[in-house]
Amino acid sequence: MTASGGRRLLAALNPAAAAAGLAPGMPLPDALSFVPGLVTLPADPAADAAALTRLAEWCNRYSPWTAPDDADGIKIEITGSAHLWGGENALVADISRRLSRQNIVHRIAVASTLGIAWALARHAAEAGAPALPAPQDERAALAPLPVEALRLDPDTVQGLRRVGLRHVGELYPMPRDALARRFGDVVARRLDQAFGDLPEPLSPLGETPSRRVRLSFAEPIADPADLARAIERLVEDLAARLAREEMGARRLALGFHRIDGRVEHIRLGTARPSRDPRHLAKLFAAKLDTVDPGLGIEDMILAVFAADPLPPEQLVSHFRDPSPQAGEDVRRTSGGQVGASSDIAPLLDRLGNRFGLDAISRMEPRQSHIPERASIFVPIDGKRSSDPSVIPGRRAAASPESMNTGLWKMDSGPAPMARPGMTSGEVAGNSQKPPRPVRLFRPPEPIEAQWVLPDDPPFRFTWRRRQHRVRHADGPERIAEEWWIEGDAAADPHDSGDHIRDYYRVEDEEGRRFWLYRAGLPGDPPPRWFVHGLFA
Amino acid sequence: MSFSQVMRHDFSEEMPRPGPLATLRERIRQIEQPRSHGVLPFGIAAIDRALPGGGLALGAVHEILGQGGDEEDGAAACGFIAGILARIRPGPVLWCLKRPDLYGPGLLARGLDPARLIVVSAPRDEDILWAVEEGLRAPGLIAVVGEIGRLPLVAGRRLQLAAEHSGVTAFLLRRWRNSEEAARERERPSAAVTRWRIAALPARDIDDPRLRHLIGQPRWRVELLRCRGGVPAEWIVEVADATGHVRLSPELADRPAAAQQFDTEPRLRHFG
Repeated sequence: MTASGGRRLLAALNPAAAAAGLAPGMPLPDALSFVPGLVTLPADPAADAAALTRLAEWCNRYSPWTAPDDADGIKIEITGSAHLWGGENALVADISRRLSRQNIVHRIAVASTLGIAWALARHAAEAGAPALPAPQDERAALAPLPVEALRLDPDTVQGLRRVGLRHVGELYPMPRDALARRFGDVVARRLDQAFGDLPEPLSPLGETPSRRVRLSFAEPIADPADLARAIERLVEDLAARLAREEMGARRLALGFHRIDGRVEHIRLGTARPSRDPRHLAKLFAAKLDTVDPGLGIEDMILAVFAADPLPPEQLVSHFRDPSPQAGEDVRRTSGGQVGASSDIAPLLDRLGNRFGLDAISRMEPRQSHIPERASIFVPIDGKRSSDPSVIPGRRAAASPESMNTGLWKMDSGPAPMARPGMTSGEVAGNSQKPPRPVRLFRPPEPIEAQWVLPDDPPFRFTWRRRQHRVRHADGPERIAEEWWIEGDAAADPHDSGDHIRDYYRVEDEEGRRFWLYRAGLPGDPPPRWFVHGLFA
Repeated sequence: MSFSQVMRHDFSEEMPRPGPLATLRERIRQIEQPRSHGVLPFGIAAIDRALPGGGLALGAVHEILGQGGDEEDGAAACGFIAGILARIRPGPVLWCLKRPDLYGPGLLARGLDPARLIVVSAPRDEDILWAVEEGLRAPGLIAVVGEIGRLPLVAGRRLQLAAEHSGVTAFLLRRWRNSEEAARERERPSAAVTRWRIAALPARDIDDPRLRHLIGQPRWRVELLRCRGGVPAEWIVEVADATGHVRLSPELADRPAAAQQFDTEPRLRHFG
């Protein structure tokens, strides 16, 4: 039952109501006069659509190309997959049996074009009697159907009826240009689509995978141990296929098709291409507890959505036994630093699949005077950073798990901008660089500071409700905003105070060492103070 | 007949052959004294003497605490760990923390190449523990650092077993949200092989009177609070250079008696 323009109309019926002479679109008062005891429920088109989408997803077991069609149908592209089921008849029988088990009333048609299948399913097939005409009979099968079967809008259907064209077959001999003049090109187009003269691509539900492996069970399974074994078989099949193609999976999804028609998914990403069956199985198994098997799983489909080339020789380290006798392994591999690091790819994947790949990062230096820009965290997601401020000549890490130990150098970074005679070799240790903290707060944390002269460091400051008395201080080291970099804070006139920062290293009475800075030039307006980092 | 049996019995008592009992003894010994993965000496006789084997045990879990406000920020502890990591051997290190506040140039100054770090940010202690354990079981890592607040005893034991098994060394940098959590957690027992507390100390005054108002070399009080098979002790050290080494702080004019002992014997701490 649905509401339209203040009237309540019937939206859908069960067979008993249809038998009593009711029809969709009938106003509720009329319907009640036919059937006084009529039971109605409000229509919920959104839930219907969601259920249909779920069902279309379930149909993935027959083909990767499935999609909901209008409000009441599902289209499945079975070209190339029917033979896996022993032919079209067997495939249709399987669909029918499983839908019946879920108490879904259905009509099925198979044809060589979407247009004919659509027409046959809605106007020729009956429940329990699917329509599967041979390709040469399709034209004849379509002829006796009403013109609505061509997917025409009600106005066009009315127009055709007015001139006495009631069945599809009556359109066959009509000249196309006469039809087009009278009814627009829609009728001709629908005819052409039906007979395959005009291609009609099926836009599948979501992304279509590049590779799929499927495992069906005679008896539905629900036990986690059984599911884990099934996962192992699937990834082995997939790994064998990827090995033949010299590819490694980057993005995968494992679909669990439940007998109640729902599909549960585990989705995975890997930090680098992989086809190690044990590694992939482990990643899936780690997420198995997120899958609700319901009354049982009848199919599992493992699909690869993204893959990258993976030559065979890189695989050697993947197959290295990761757990037992690891002590020896570590000693053997850790001597060469970079060679050892391919061992950590499985670790990165396990971490990434728990925390997300962007929660795992490497530290990279950047050529910048601004402290927070000089050392940045680059997520390990396989993407190359395209930051132009990468220090020239020292390219960023080439791959997620390789270590580029030449990236950081003691002599890198800006020259000190301290006051002359301020920083002696003794103060800065063995390095001529001004000291840098081991912890850096992003963003800097504001403090309440007290100072005497405008150019002095504070003699006392309060940070996180704790008061610190400054015993010693180094500075200032002036760091100016990089005005030459586009999109810098310099563009913001309200934030002009932060263009210039004067950094001080201060030591409190306990001996803790802080990196403070004053934003803005000393004097008017009153400067703001921040703690930016902590020294070890 | 019976005589020869007695003889044989006597014989076996004198020279025990490997039997079930000996096998059992060997297993107990292995359980009590797990496989050794070697030690990393500090290169300072006074400190290495206090540690069994003459250095920091590798393939083991070490706890590092801060002091005062640094129990929350873990800055001194971070510098201490960075210096150790710099000296173990080259190779990747997994560093798990709640909010990525490490700073590359500062680590580099302690000798640790930041390019070696794989930094994992995770919001909760359970996540950090999980990540540390994964790291300890993974081949190819040199060490794992976990910045952790709450550390249940059982979880610590799991980490210790994993570290013994793989030979990967774990550093648990205890970092507490506030002083209440610090007070609660500080006294808990743990399964770590050693527990250290690193406190920043005021730097020594610079000799040159013109520079006296500046900050001298960073100085720490390093306390070995607990050590399996060793003796608790404390030292005052300062950062020696940018290779991760420390040196004992030279005695000060205004601190005569206590400081002199540092070069000779670790000062024993008194308990109870």
